[in-house]
Amino acid sequence: MASKVDPNITEKLRKLGAGDLNQCYHCGTCTATCPLSEDGVSFPRKVLRNLQLGLKDRLMESPEPWLCYYCGDCSEACPQNAQPGETVMAARRYLTSAYDWTGLSFKMYTSKAWEFGAILVLGLLVVLGFVFFHGPMTTELTPGGGVQLNVFAPAETIELLDWTMGGVLSIFLLSNLFRMVWKVLGEDRKKIPLKFYFTEILTLPAHFATQKRWKDCEKPGMHRKHMMLVFGYVTMFIMIFGFLKWFQTDEVHPVWHPQRLLGYLATAALLYVTVDMMISRRRKELQMHKFSHSTDWLFLILLFLTSLTGILVHFFRVGGLPMPTYIMYVIHMAILVPMLMIEVPFGKWSHLAYRPMVAYLHQVKKKANEAASSKK
Amino acid sequence: MKQRRIGVYICHCGGNISDYVNVQEVADAVKNDPNVAISRTHTFACSDASQQEMIDEIREQNLDGLVIASCSPKLHVFTFRGMAERADLNQYQYVHVNLREQCSWVHGNDKAGATAKGINILRAGIAKCALTKPLTAIRVDTKPRVLIIGAGVAGMRAAILLADMGLSVFMVEKEKEAGGWALHAGNMGPENQNGTDIAAGLLKRIQAHENIMLYTGAEVTGKSGSIGDFTVMARLDNNEEVSLNVGAIVVTTGFSPYEPKEGEYGWGIPGVVSLLDFRRMVEQSNGKLQHNGKPVRTVSFIYCVGSRQKKKKDCPDANTYCSRYCCSAATHTASQLGKLDPSVRQYHLFRDVRTYGALETVYEESRRDGAIFLKWEPKNPPVVEQKGGQLSVTVKDTLSGGDELEIGSDLVVLVNGMEPRENDALNDILKIPESKDGFYNEIHIKLRPVETVIDGVFIAGASQGPKTLAESVASSLAAVAKTGGLLKKGYVDLEPLVAKVNTDKCLWCDECLKACPYGAIEKINFGEKEVAFVIEAMCKGEGGCVPVCPHDAIEIEGYRDDQICAMIDASIKELETPA
Repeated sequence: MASKVDPNITEKLRKLGAGDLNQCYHCGTCTATCPLSEDGVSFPRKVLRNLQLGLKDRLMESPEPWLCYYCGDCSEACPQNAQPGETVMAARRYLTSAYDWTGLSFKMYTSKAWEFGAILVLGLLVVLGFVFFHGPMTTELTPGGGVQLNVFAPAETIELLDWTMGGVLSIFLLSNLFRMVWKVLGEDRKKIPLKFYFTEILTLPAHFATQKRWKDCEKPGMHRKHMMLVFGYVTMFIMIFGFLKWFQTDEVHPVWHPQRLLGYLATAALLYVTVDMMISRRRKELQMHKFSHSTDWLFLILLFLTSLTGILVHFFRVGGLPMPTYIMYVIHMAILVPMLMIEVPFGKWSHLAYRPMVAYLHQVKKKANEAASSKK
Repeated sequence: MKQRRIGVYICHCGGNISDYVNVQEVADAVKNDPNVAISRTHTFACSDASQQEMIDEIREQNLDGLVIASCSPKLHVFTFRGMAERADLNQYQYVHVNLREQCSWVHGNDKAGATAKGINILRAGIAKCALTKPLTAIRVDTKPRVLIIGAGVAGMRAAILLADMGLSVFMVEKEKEAGGWALHAGNMGPENQNGTDIAAGLLKRIQAHENIMLYTGAEVTGKSGSIGDFTVMARLDNNEEVSLNVGAIVVTTGFSPYEPKEGEYGWGIPGVVSLLDFRRMVEQSNGKLQHNGKPVRTVSFIYCVGSRQKKKKDCPDANTYCSRYCCSAATHTASQLGKLDPSVRQYHLFRDVRTYGALETVYEESRRDGAIFLKWEPKNPPVVEQKGGQLSVTVKDTLSGGDELEIGSDLVVLVNGMEPRENDALNDILKIPESKDGFYNEIHIKLRPVETVIDGVFIAGASQGPKTLAESVASSLAAVAKTGGLLKKGYVDLEPLVAKVNTDKCLWCDECLKACPYGAIEKINFGEKEVAFVIEAMCKGEGGCVPVCPHDAIEIEGYRDDQICAMIDASIKELETPA
């Protein structure tokens, strides 16, 4: 079956931040330069070609955009200034919106009204929820001198709400992820023996935790910073979704208590990396920071504000300042909830699922191919 | 027969000859020949020092013949003819012997044999030289008038410049209107000059020039005479015949656009158009491009239509050449279209983009103006079909890994190349040889690019092969230089090595007339009988007439029967009397 050339995709891509696709004359310098491109899965030229011609099906089936970590070498080497690195970035945005069956993703990627509107509405709902349903706002402190936050917002209730939100969010993310898996496997899903899905399963958590492909990018600083970021949000995620009653206490633990130490470490990592990335994106020194889509900024700002308000809640609580604690807690939640609800299933943060999944499928395919060719 | 004093010089060619042929042995072998006065060797006979030595010797020793055994005559025959003249020896009494290409280079593994062969061919050369006579060039007075056939841009440019030199110029143009294809080309790349304007500007100057006479709607019907003095017959648009007496003819008859065959890349389906047609559509549309009342959103271009075809059994007339102008014209059209309406999607299906030289900028610009390029291989040509009210173009794009892609298109533009013009009647009259591509052939593509084997007839522009307008004009100016140089001098010297008729033996049987490709033989009355007569200015000394003559009544000066027989005798002398 011939693939249909669809000229309208290029228009969509322009909105998603792709450079001038016509600049590329397919010399292949980018692919030759890329330290991650390999036989069979070669990029970025191939990605650019699919975008140039608007080959939607081929694009949806291609794992390549997720195998790229955007070191920017290709854009530096490009003789035509076609920005292949940024174009692959735009391809990831396009794919994120194409996997999403609700269509919300594309709307939020391409319309600032939708993007900010969604955040404001969700934030407002959180605020209203607290206004109507918050517990007593006692000014009485605990014996340790801390604010009684769990009276204002009991951890048991918040945990239930967390899980509800996590469930909704997972339904969207996992259904989008399933669409991606289905497309990326393509016709190969009939050929790959089932056992490889099991033997290679460990690559999935490994890539999730370490992003080890990135090491081959020869940009060690960026990989280390990203690892710090992952450490920060994974620690927070575990403490909030798994152990909220242990994490959100009224008791003021000593400074060396694991609850405080882990919290400080994770917050420091999140604050340091988000601030550093925002500065880099402003300075535009590295290739990967030269172009910033509005959604790149929004993601960083939301993550930074979440971390900042979180640590302020903590300081106000242990400092024995009841009203600032309650208000900051509401603000913290009014940022955290929209960030998770929008960024994880529909936005930039969805790559936390897509990247390791593609790395895993890539590994499965590779093993299956090896097995098939050794049989011959 | 009177004994001759021939100087024989054998060249080492710096080892090219002397490494295989014992040149001293060769020189010694002929020195006792009664006709040989001197026999010696030179390291490089063509060097200035050696030439001066030979000149001195020719003068001092009073030599009346010269034989140089060296490289191919193609290289140095004119060098040594010039040298002979400087030594006051008639240049036609010099004989060139090829001891390198025909001896040392081909017998490198047999030095003794090479030396023996060298002696034999040198003896033949000496024998021929002994029978040479001093000859003088055939001098022809030239008429200060030129005929230019074809009033396209190349022809008109040539006409103006030749007229400016003070020559009278006649132009014969078949069409009713002068200007050629430029009239239909619209804005031409890279500077977007309008073809109609260029043609009109030239025509204005031609009409105002007192030295130019332009006949449109006219055709050449006959030609006689030779270089310097042709008489050309032309029929004008009022059916009147005129006779034009000119010294030279410049042929600028141009090309024909390739007409695709029915079904070739969908030719015949509505919406499949040629490049020229499409350019006109772009030119004439105001704002939005439309076809049959519907807006055009997507256009596919297919390149190399009618060019670079493969010769096959069912397609013996394949155009195997590249038409040179089409890539540039198509990419330029892409920019015109992109500037007219940037929202139109355009896909360019090419084999190789050959926008050479400065035209690379046209290609660059076309990409900026929205052209997307897809590359196909000749074994998988694109297919154009009609599918539900739209045109569908399927192509295996090598830049996408060779997978089949389908492009829904509102218009398909076939980027058609150039073909030689069908000019059978004119070709019968002019007899300019054609290349295997069917265009007029020059003598030498690099060194004599506008001269033909017919002296006094020059070719220029796309009549000699596909060219851009700039290249056409460059070649037409080359023809101006050659024509002007010839006619302003007032006379031309021609080689005297031409056919001669022995009127005693000739009984006029017309065999020589039939054998001559140059039309240099005429029948004349000679006393009581009819005999053949050679128009010396038209004869090329090619010799086709000699072997067909049943009465041995015709021979070529410089290659006379007695000379050839003497050469054969001399070269087999060794075989007859073994040492």
